[in-house]
Amino acid sequence: MWVYIQNLLVYTFILGSIYLLVALGFSIICGVLRIFHLGYAYIFPLTVYGTWMFLTDFGWGLIPSIFGMVAVQFVIAFLIYKGIIKRYLDKELEMLVGLLLLTTIIEQTINYKYPMQTGVYLQTELIKGTTQIGSVVVSTQLLVGSIIALFLTAIFVLFFLKTRTGLAIRAISQNIYSSQIVGINVETLYVFTMMLVLVPVMIGTLIIAPVWTVDPFMGQIYMFTAILVAVLGGLGNMRGTIIASFLIGAVHAVMCFILGEPRFMTLSALVLVMIVLVVRPQGLTRSESLW
Amino acid sequence: MVDIELKRDRLTIRFKTQKWEWMIEPRYWRNSILWVALLLVFPAVSYFVSPGLINTMISANLLAAIAIPMSLMTLGTGRVNFGPNFYVGVGGYAAALLSIAYGWGPVATLPFAILTTLFAALIFSPLVIVARGLYYVLLSLLLPFVFFEVTVIYTDIFKGDTGLFGIKPLMDLGNAKINFLVLAYLSIFIMISYLLIVNKIIKSRYGLIMATINDDEEVAHGIGVNINKVKIISFVFAACLIGIVGWFYAHYFSSFSGQTYLTFTFMLKIFLAMMIGGRTQIFGCVVGGYFVAFLEMFLIRTMGPMQAFVFPIILIIFLFILPEGLFGIYRKRRYREYFPTIHVRR
Repeated sequence: MWVYIQNLLVYTFILGSIYLLVALGFSIICGVLRIFHLGYAYIFPLTVYGTWMFLTDFGWGLIPSIFGMVAVQFVIAFLIYKGIIKRYLDKELEMLVGLLLLTTIIEQTINYKYPMQTGVYLQTELIKGTTQIGSVVVSTQLLVGSIIALFLTAIFVLFFLKTRTGLAIRAISQNIYSSQIVGINVETLYVFTMMLVLVPVMIGTLIIAPVWTVDPFMGQIYMFTAILVAVLGGLGNMRGTIIASFLIGAVHAVMCFILGEPRFMTLSALVLVMIVLVVRPQGLTRSESLW
Repeated sequence: MVDIELKRDRLTIRFKTQKWEWMIEPRYWRNSILWVALLLVFPAVSYFVSPGLINTMISANLLAAIAIPMSLMTLGTGRVNFGPNFYVGVGGYAAALLSIAYGWGPVATLPFAILTTLFAALIFSPLVIVARGLYYVLLSLLLPFVFFEVTVIYTDIFKGDTGLFGIKPLMDLGNAKINFLVLAYLSIFIMISYLLIVNKIIKSRYGLIMATINDDEEVAHGIGVNINKVKIISFVFAACLIGIVGWFYAHYFSSFSGQTYLTFTFMLKIFLAMMIGGRTQIFGCVVGGYFVAFLEMFLIRTMGPMQAFVFPIILIIFLFILPEGLFGIYRKRRYREYFPTIHVRR
């Protein structure tokens, strides 16, 4: 019994933290721009394969390759904002279908250049080996990744609560027209937010890349998780996102390590979200503000 | 008594308080007849010139046959359902499982495919009342993926990873080419039937009520429309029409796989047929279905593996440069019909 509880606690912590990294960006976009970024899935494979491209095709070192990939991500995020989101903010169907198409273009281009059978391995391991916590043995990489996830989330929360820029972004998330009246440059902050949300996703993807499977279509399942977390938490509320990440992490841990049915992981998380939505249609927290 | 009256441009039939009119003035139906004639001639010509085109034409008809009821659903519920492929999956799996388990042919499986889709649509129909805006988008988007998960989890029943095989074919006339030709005409029949039925609904008083709901639910409620009833009927009816297409897919390919029909890619094709065709304009869905299916076939033949990313690039360009879709180019000269606004967030 004690072993089960240990497994549950450790994996809730690890999975919840990783899901937090995966979903934080999606949730912030929901909160600030008030849209569903259905193009979110492209960020994950672009992080892995963008770094891989600079490593193998350009012959750069790992750190320069990561910076190269970050630059590519920022440029693409900027183009997406200017080309799709800004133009179609009022025509959401065009925007959502356009974002889905864009994800397809990026995924298929990656798949064309580096097909699934291409062995892609990023040496972004911070620490090798495993760690034993009580009777539970976990990958040290994931454990360190979880701590980084919490640290990064804390930085994000502090940024939004304690800085003037964070205050301005929160103001936009609450009322865009009032924000404009008090002199906030909404468009600049939209672009800034689009780029800011890339940070946790890129860090999360680089942490899990050496441990979990990567392929050109890996983003879809992570976006699925991000959507579940964002909706469960209350579309765009960071406090809700943190709670929802660990709740879904707990459900996944129960399915895997208590019931021994990993096949039901996604389904069980979805059932949880549906139940919560029936009881509280607005999610766990109010979606009116970021925090 | 039935009263038939022939005027210069129309035939009017009256029975008690009911009235039916049929336009006989050529300018009203000439273009429609020409387009239908073109559709009917196309498979016969392809049969002799390039039989491979028949297959693409069937795909185009089926895409249009999903996009047309999808437009009706969008109009009648005032919301955009991001998971129309869920009902393709329900209809297809119902037909496939019954055919494999009991050796039933397409005629026997059709009513069960419709009933299963009806049942599934009824279960999820409260969503169109309780879920709004982005929540509705999310829930409808997730449904096909949940279903796909279920097919993978219960793979001994659904064969989620490999697909179900051995379904009785829709037609077996002993010659593959003739089979394809007859199936092409059957797909045209389904698509045109959907077009006529949905067009009739949209042009009727009921269509006017749906348009009111689409434009403003509160106003519709204020003028005495039972909006929940209209929304549920539109939702369930359109879902059943989509389910029939699933039944067609299952018997047409003699196989059915969630990997093909319950994924983003297939959902995106349906949306593009609807959007590039004419943003919920039902005649535009036909244009959109043909455009998407033939463009894909052309790129596969000419560009090989590169088509996987060239295809969405061309589609995204068309999505953004045609604000009213391909049908909008034609429609601008005849601007007199109701043009619905599509509501994702409300």
